[in-house]
Amino acid sequence: MPGCARRAALAVLIAFATGAGRAGATPDVQDPALATRVTTLANGLTVLTLVDPSTPAVSFQMWVRVGSKDEARYTGIAHLFEHMMFRGTDRLPPESHERLVTARGGQVNAYTTDDVTVFHEDIAPDSLPLVIELEAERVANLKITDEVLASEKQVVLEERRLRSEDSPQGRAFEALLALAFAAHPYRVPTIGWRSDVEAVTAEICRRFFKTYYAPNNIVISVAGSFDADDALARIRRAFGGLERVAEIPRNPTKEIEQRGERRELIHLDVRSPILAAAWHAPKTGDPDGPALDVASGVLSGGRSSRLYRRLVYDEQQALAAEGAYWELQEAGLFYAFAMVRPDGDIDRVERGFFDEIARLRKEPVSPAELARAKRQIEVDLIARSNTAHALAARIAGDYVAFGRIRPLEERLRGYRAVTAADVQRVARSYLIDDQRSVVHVIAPPGSTPRRAPPQPGAVPPGAPEAR
Amino acid sequence: MKRGAALLALGLLGLAPGCASLRPRPAWQLPPPPVQEGSIVPEQRLHRAVLENGLDVLLLEDHRTPRLSIGIALRRGIAVEPLDQAGLASLTTEVMKRGAGSRDALALARTIEDIGATLSADAGWDSASVGLTGLSEDGDKLFDLLADVVRRPRFERAEVDRARAETIQALEQEKDEPESLLDRQLDQVLYPGHRYGIPQDGEPRSLMRLDARALREFHRRLFVARNAIFYAVGDIAPDDALARVRAKFGDWEAGAVPEPGPPPPAPTPAARRIVVVDRPDLVQAQIALAHEGISRTDPGRIPALLMNTVLGGGGFLSRLLTRVRADAGLTYSIGSLFEMRRQAGPFAVSTFTRVPEVGRVVSLVLEVLESMKSDPPGEDEFRLAKSFNVGRFVLGLETSQAIAAGLIDLDVYGLPRDSLDTYRTRVNATTQEEVADAARRLLHPERIAIVVVGPAAALRAQLEPLGTVEVVKP
Repeated sequence: MPGCARRAALAVLIAFATGAGRAGATPDVQDPALATRVTTLANGLTVLTLVDPSTPAVSFQMWVRVGSKDEARYTGIAHLFEHMMFRGTDRLPPESHERLVTARGGQVNAYTTDDVTVFHEDIAPDSLPLVIELEAERVANLKITDEVLASEKQVVLEERRLRSEDSPQGRAFEALLALAFAAHPYRVPTIGWRSDVEAVTAEICRRFFKTYYAPNNIVISVAGSFDADDALARIRRAFGGLERVAEIPRNPTKEIEQRGERRELIHLDVRSPILAAAWHAPKTGDPDGPALDVASGVLSGGRSSRLYRRLVYDEQQALAAEGAYWELQEAGLFYAFAMVRPDGDIDRVERGFFDEIARLRKEPVSPAELARAKRQIEVDLIARSNTAHALAARIAGDYVAFGRIRPLEERLRGYRAVTAADVQRVARSYLIDDQRSVVHVIAPPGSTPRRAPPQPGAVPPGAPEAR
Repeated sequence: MKRGAALLALGLLGLAPGCASLRPRPAWQLPPPPVQEGSIVPEQRLHRAVLENGLDVLLLEDHRTPRLSIGIALRRGIAVEPLDQAGLASLTTEVMKRGAGSRDALALARTIEDIGATLSADAGWDSASVGLTGLSEDGDKLFDLLADVVRRPRFERAEVDRARAETIQALEQEKDEPESLLDRQLDQVLYPGHRYGIPQDGEPRSLMRLDARALREFHRRLFVARNAIFYAVGDIAPDDALARVRAKFGDWEAGAVPEPGPPPPAPTPAARRIVVVDRPDLVQAQIALAHEGISRTDPGRIPALLMNTVLGGGGFLSRLLTRVRADAGLTYSIGSLFEMRRQAGPFAVSTFTRVPEVGRVVSLVLEVLESMKSDPPGEDEFRLAKSFNVGRFVLGLETSQAIAAGLIDLDVYGLPRDSLDTYRTRVNATTQEEVADAARRLLHPERIAIVVVGPAAALRAQLEPLGTVEVVKP
């Protein structure tokens, strides 16, 4: 189902941050992505093909370089448009794209982030010709009517209610981004503000489509078990006739300097308060990125990490606590998240959390912690599953962000080079109190006190301990 | 590059006016490729053995990445817990992660994380498992650690207390999530007095009864060779793996497979119930309609699956998503599911919509359920449901991890070992009449439970035309 991906982007980072760096040991790593072929069509469309016959599947992904950061007037239009892409052409009735691929067992979906809109199909090899033609058909001939738009807006508003309005975590992150970014369009939620989504017209959609869905703004990646020459020929036939667009408008706004901490309080009917915070951090690809990832590992990579030990285990104030680096094309954040226990104290959690951040600035991390965090990242990079989908996403993501595919070996080198001094340096450069934005989600004052849950440690009678 | 330019020219020509007749028919007008059948498990990479103590060993070699996953899966899970000890299996596996052998909680976590490995220990209704994933070069350590966690967990009193308090707090936190409230209420309505009616992690009352001794006892009964399957998936030679299993688990107590839990009541609910969980602050209501479904081993499960694909399990192929989302824009997501366990788990339709539309959505769902019985899947729907399931099945087994999990699942439920290989043939052999019969036999809209989480004040009037509305507090 087409989905909004702010959450997805965070999820990816969380998985990444919790995933391993012992100095010295270097397992033999085969990087299948090294075999990627890059082809550019005359109209500017880039096609990445990566043949890996060891998987029975193929993943076809179309990455359009447009996200919520590019929205000028109506927030949420990139995501709303992602939904509209499923609503048919003159030759294909609404949803038939999805039905045709699903009927063969394929997975069809799409997501929108701050930076990109991605359409993807995971299929058996014999469905690749179908998928190529279906994607080309909607990029060339998408039909946008008032009637279909009206019903799709309702679907999107349900998605918004689900992910932000009725979700305490969704609310927290929506507020955090709007607080941390005062000027940059990363401040708007990818799904858009309700009133903007309601106001979008078919004409606005058509203009958006013409502006951004041009071949020179699209990267196609195909990975898995398929014949690359045949696929390229088909892609040329299907997409070659699209016309390039002379200029693709981008939002010029840069983030303004923050002078002092920002805070926001949200009252919701919650038992578990939520602490969310963020510091400004560099954009993706920055040389400081690996050290920030290592800092994240020291803070929350597993049950030996500092935040788990302190907030979850020793003080028993939080159900979960993590800090992670979130990198986007034009800026980044280092964010903090803690789910406070219903019997816990959010102020105490905040003090503990920020103490640990201050400790990163004050003293170098121990050699054991450094090695552990690096090893976790390394193992995660090496051992991650090379499904057709994962490969196609990796090469397209790299190409869109960097114009090339970063070899695994290069990424590993980047992490292996991180020192304790680097971690301390990035903590001192970025994780400073003046640059912090903090959101608390708590129950409104005066709300009915909760029934106190049973106290921890109250061991029932008749349970002698014998070990 | 030259060849590419020629092809490009050809492509442009095809689009030029006047040449339309030269264009091939679009791919979507061509018939889909024939459905493939046949074996799917890579026999040359799969190795099985049984140790003298009855421990089954399953090894699936995959040397594409230097990754290794090893673990122990049990043939029993939460369902064997006594009702008044609900949460026992989950708490046991949780505390197993908090100290084993010579290592306390912190030392264990450090040892695992030092090599970049991850430890999991979880309980499901019918199985539980402990697993470690890391790099194959750390194989020795992974085997040592697994044997410690599985065979020598410490169950220290302080760790039990801590884990139990965390579970109780997490159960409270889940009440902040409308979806969790819905699931919990639904289980209570469908399975009163049965283990299925209580959350998998238990409830505060039952958790308070659990102490280190109860956990040790449960561990002693469940974690025995005859109740277990050892698995290794990834970059390891079969001989090497087998030798290590023997060394670490060869002298493991044989024990026995515990009796499965009692069967749940059927039919459930006996008559229609409408329950609203009152959350005055929500703008969107979570909705479920449910009654008993079928078990994992039900001989009619394939027709049921195909029927459910047409009803609500096949995305945009399904009637529910088409009617409620695509046509009416009333939701972002709607689906139906038979949750197959050792005993009949729930059949449920779940969705969500803005508060004022709840009555309309529930009526639409009831209408679609009725129509499945009066107007069973037609030839087209039937054909698409088959190709969907066959295709999805193959793609779902893309990774070695998925194949191993599928094989273990067959073992847990005592299903034939070749079931993955025969699945596509069995789907293709299903008749349209069997699918129609499944709809008539398994769907009971007249007595289905309707559970809604949202503001009761606004929901009551919408739901009362359908029956008596009970309102409960979260």
